[in-house]
Amino acid sequence: MGRLRSAFMVTACFLLVSCSGRNTGSSALSGFEVSEHIPLEHAEQFTADRLENGCTLVDISGEKYLIKPENSDVDTSAVKDMTIIELPLENVYCAASSAMDLIDSAGALDMVSMTSTQYNDWGLDNVRWAFDEDMLVYVGKYSAPDYEYILSENCPLAIESTMIYHSPQVKEKLEELGIPVLVERSSYESDPLARLEWIKLYGILFGKEAEAEKCCKENFDKIGDILTGEGTGKKAAFFYINSSGAVVVRKPDDYVAEMIRMAGGEYIFSREDLNAEENALSTMSIQMETFYEKAHDADILIYNSDIVGKVDSLSELVERYPIFGDFKAVRENNLWCTEKNLFQQTTGAAEVIMELHDIFTDKDADDMEFLFRPEA
Amino acid sequence: MNNKIKRAAASYILLAVLLGAAIVLNLCMGSTDVSLHELLSALKDHDSSPVTYRILTQIRLPRTAAALVLGGGLAVSGLLLQSFFSNPVAGPYILGISSGAKLAVALIMVYSLAKGILLSSAAMVAAAFAGALASMFIVLAISAKVKRMSILIVCGVMIGYICSAITEFIVNFSDDSNIVNLHNWSMGSFSGIRPDEAAAAAFIIIPAVVCAFFLSKPMDAYRLGESYAVSSGVNVRLFRAALILLSSLLSACVTAFAGPVSFVGIAVPHGVKSLFGTSKPIVILPACFLGGAVFCLFCDLITRTVFAPTELSISTVTAVFGAPVVIWMLTGRERRMDNE
Amino acid sequence: MNDAVLSAKGLSVGYTGKAVLSGIDIKAERGKILTLIGPNGAGKSTLLKTLCRQLEPVGGTVFIGKDDISRMKSRDLAKNMAVLLTQKVKTQLMTCREAVETGRFPYVGALAVMGDEDRKKVDEALEMVGASEFADKDIDKLSDGQRQRVLLARAICQEPDILILDEPATFLDIRYKLELMALLKKLASERGVSIIMSLHELELAQKVSDMILCIKGDSPDRYGTPEEIFSGGYIEKLYGTEEGRFCEYYGSVELSAAEGEPEVFVIGGGGKGLGIYRQLQRKGIPFAVGVLHENDIEFPAAKALASVLIAESAFEPVSVEKVSDAMAVMDKCRYVLCANHKFGTMNKGNAKLLEKAENCGKLIKDVEDIG
Repeated sequence: MGRLRSAFMVTACFLLVSCSGRNTGSSALSGFEVSEHIPLEHAEQFTADRLENGCTLVDISGEKYLIKPENSDVDTSAVKDMTIIELPLENVYCAASSAMDLIDSAGALDMVSMTSTQYNDWGLDNVRWAFDEDMLVYVGKYSAPDYEYILSENCPLAIESTMIYHSPQVKEKLEELGIPVLVERSSYESDPLARLEWIKLYGILFGKEAEAEKCCKENFDKIGDILTGEGTGKKAAFFYINSSGAVVVRKPDDYVAEMIRMAGGEYIFSREDLNAEENALSTMSIQMETFYEKAHDADILIYNSDIVGKVDSLSELVERYPIFGDFKAVRENNLWCTEKNLFQQTTGAAEVIMELHDIFTDKDADDMEFLFRPEA
Repeated sequence: MNNKIKRAAASYILLAVLLGAAIVLNLCMGSTDVSLHELLSALKDHDSSPVTYRILTQIRLPRTAAALVLGGGLAVSGLLLQSFFSNPVAGPYILGISSGAKLAVALIMVYSLAKGILLSSAAMVAAAFAGALASMFIVLAISAKVKRMSILIVCGVMIGYICSAITEFIVNFSDDSNIVNLHNWSMGSFSGIRPDEAAAAAFIIIPAVVCAFFLSKPMDAYRLGESYAVSSGVNVRLFRAALILLSSLLSACVTAFAGPVSFVGIAVPHGVKSLFGTSKPIVILPACFLGGAVFCLFCDLITRTVFAPTELSISTVTAVFGAPVVIWMLTGRERRMDNE
Repeated sequence: MNDAVLSAKGLSVGYTGKAVLSGIDIKAERGKILTLIGPNGAGKSTLLKTLCRQLEPVGGTVFIGKDDISRMKSRDLAKNMAVLLTQKVKTQLMTCREAVETGRFPYVGALAVMGDEDRKKVDEALEMVGASEFADKDIDKLSDGQRQRVLLARAICQEPDILILDEPATFLDIRYKLELMALLKKLASERGVSIIMSLHELELAQKVSDMILCIKGDSPDRYGTPEEIFSGGYIEKLYGTEEGRFCEYYGSVELSAAEGEPEVFVIGGGGKGLGIYRQLQRKGIPFAVGVLHENDIEFPAAKALASVLIAESAFEPVSVEKVSDAMAVMDKCRYVLCANHKFGTMNKGNAKLLEKAENCGKLIKDVEDIG
């Protein structure tokens, strides 16, 4: 006990010292010392700490959120530089489509009542069902939500993706209306399992920590074998063609590239190839030439149907862009398209990796959940 | 003579009534409709329905005030430019203001995203303003060197093209989400305007409109053309500079807070002139402000309610209503010219 | 008292630094009308625009009294000088009254509110140009001539010391041309306005101007009174027209004579022959005229239009030689027309011509009778 105590003192002092240089001092307030650090195996973009006073402190890439449990009497008036979120949460507005699946898998979907993605754009069945049951409502785009409705529903929290940083006035408006905004960064994780691990954050927020923990363990176990297995030696590319005719590919540090690697494949671009800068963007557009150079002998091509629309048939693609006739993967009928839910179903990361692995090992099937072959 | 006065008075009353109606409708209608009775009681005693009160004061009131002031400012800007250039389709953006603003916004969006810096809306407003004013200074500098003012329009168009080209260049290197956002911004929106933003806009626009009002004498002389204006004692140099400055300031302000809003500046002056039956600036300038406010308020109402909860962008609606006005006005001119 | 209200010495005018006219010396005096005449494109408009500060001089300075106009404040200049220009005014929903009111702008305040005095002056000006009846109509609905008058009213109520007009009579019909000239004369004499204008209508220039400045080529050619300018065939040289087309006495013009040997002989006099000369000229029938006194009113027309003209000196009776010359010409003609049947002391000789014509059977009554 004594040892534990001194460990706490050291931690507290350390926190004090590290915070004294900044003017926050919130951690220096009594009761705000860290009592337990919540362990995360893969996620790097956020940390969660339990505090002495029962609150949980979540730090997402520098943005701090203080989560107050139900019936807590902690005085947060002196707290600065932190967004305060009070539990329990219901009627939450979630504009981050990638978070929905995590929330759903944690069993907390019924606590979200507003979203910024329309019914037809959802590939998740549970979400569509929620719409059908009037438990979930579309409130306008993330850049122009219906503030009146949100306000009238007494919304306690808005979960936004980093897109909100392009429309800063929305975040400011919501905060002005007294609605705390949590900007989630799960899509910034380069490891798909790290993305999945964000479910633990939503577990904390919605009081479903046990379910979250369970989901994580299941998925990690699922692909444990694949991860420890040998590489398949197959080279794969992930891309789509935008409206200006340029090819948009994932950067080699991106989580999609990571998924390919975890599935035993090789992502065709290395960092030097693309001259990619270390910045927050996950994709970059390159010329068809550059793409051809590296990808023409890739074994597998995966087309991202999410943004521009899918490829109806291989022949259509070759007709539009004859250069694709020269690609090895096209000739061998190994061009695949993504289903709508690939990006939305974050918890399906393990599944995706398994499906990719199947493709790489020629064990693919026609009824896969996330990937399909278009017609020849 | 008396007829003219009567007509002007009646028109002003009409505009005032329309403005009142527009304001009330904008405050009452939305995803939660508030009846007039509820509106008044919520304003008197805000504890009776706190949610309504908050919706009114924090969402609808600032937005209504902003649409009013910005719409009025745009219309006045359009009037200034139309009378100076004697060009019926001159609008607030003819001098390349919105292109400069768009370029600045694109730059700051891309830059902040690349560096991972958080962008505040105040920064975006400042950027748009800076870009617009930069365009304005270029035009001002050129206007000091040229004799014929028609050259300025060409200038404005060229600035527009150059800025668009550079913007496209920047967009090419950016993430896709940026492109979507820039497109959204460039269609204009009054969504999410805060009370302090509405106040800042009013603070800039109202004095500018008052200054424009004091330009009504040279504008009146300009109706006969620049030569006769000079003969009436108008100091062309000063007038030119004042006009470019004021109209740009007005357009820049609107573009900064709400993005480019099209057609208000072109259509409203024509509508007002037809309503009043005169083009005398001292009479129609305040009316243009009112007309622009009314037009913008009604259009904003439509953007909010017709496809709720999806919001249309304001430029879409103003174009749908504004373009027919411009076309009708131009054909009317044709008919009149044929009659001569 | 000859104070020069507007003056310039050695003035050069032109566009973008290139001189179209140079070496101009001008002096416009109070209550006097100075008219510029000259061929198209000579630079009259350029000069006028420079005088009223619509254009910068290429060289030299324009003075009002002792003040350099380029240094004057716009408002002060406007109180001194008013203009009437040629370019078409394109307005929208502007009444005549409003247009005229802009003439009062140099005198009213920042918001251009018209006082009673101003309104009175506007009404007076409209009255003077005869535009009162359509004062409240839109300008763009008027005819060019009406518009011109309204713009003149505007210039008038500016109460200028100097009035500059660029071809002001262009769109006016004969009535308003005359009225305009009368009005200008009135402004000059009653209000002491110094008027500088360019005119194409030479007959008007001749009658209304106090001084005329002729512009030819790239410099002023002559400067003088109408009597000095409209003499010695100068006008024809200035404009480069054929000799004899222009009548200096009246400032009138005649078209060219029909080509060929005369077919008709006209016995004219007393002005009666004018109609016949013009008819024949229109029909393209060459004719001869005799015997006509040089001071006969129809003499200039006959001189221009007849192929052969037998003239007698003024105040002298028609001589026997002239009569026989005329007879000789008559013999060569197929027809004879007698315009004038009044034979008095001076033109007794012409009666003989008539007699001969009757005897030859060449006499016809009407131009229409010509086969």
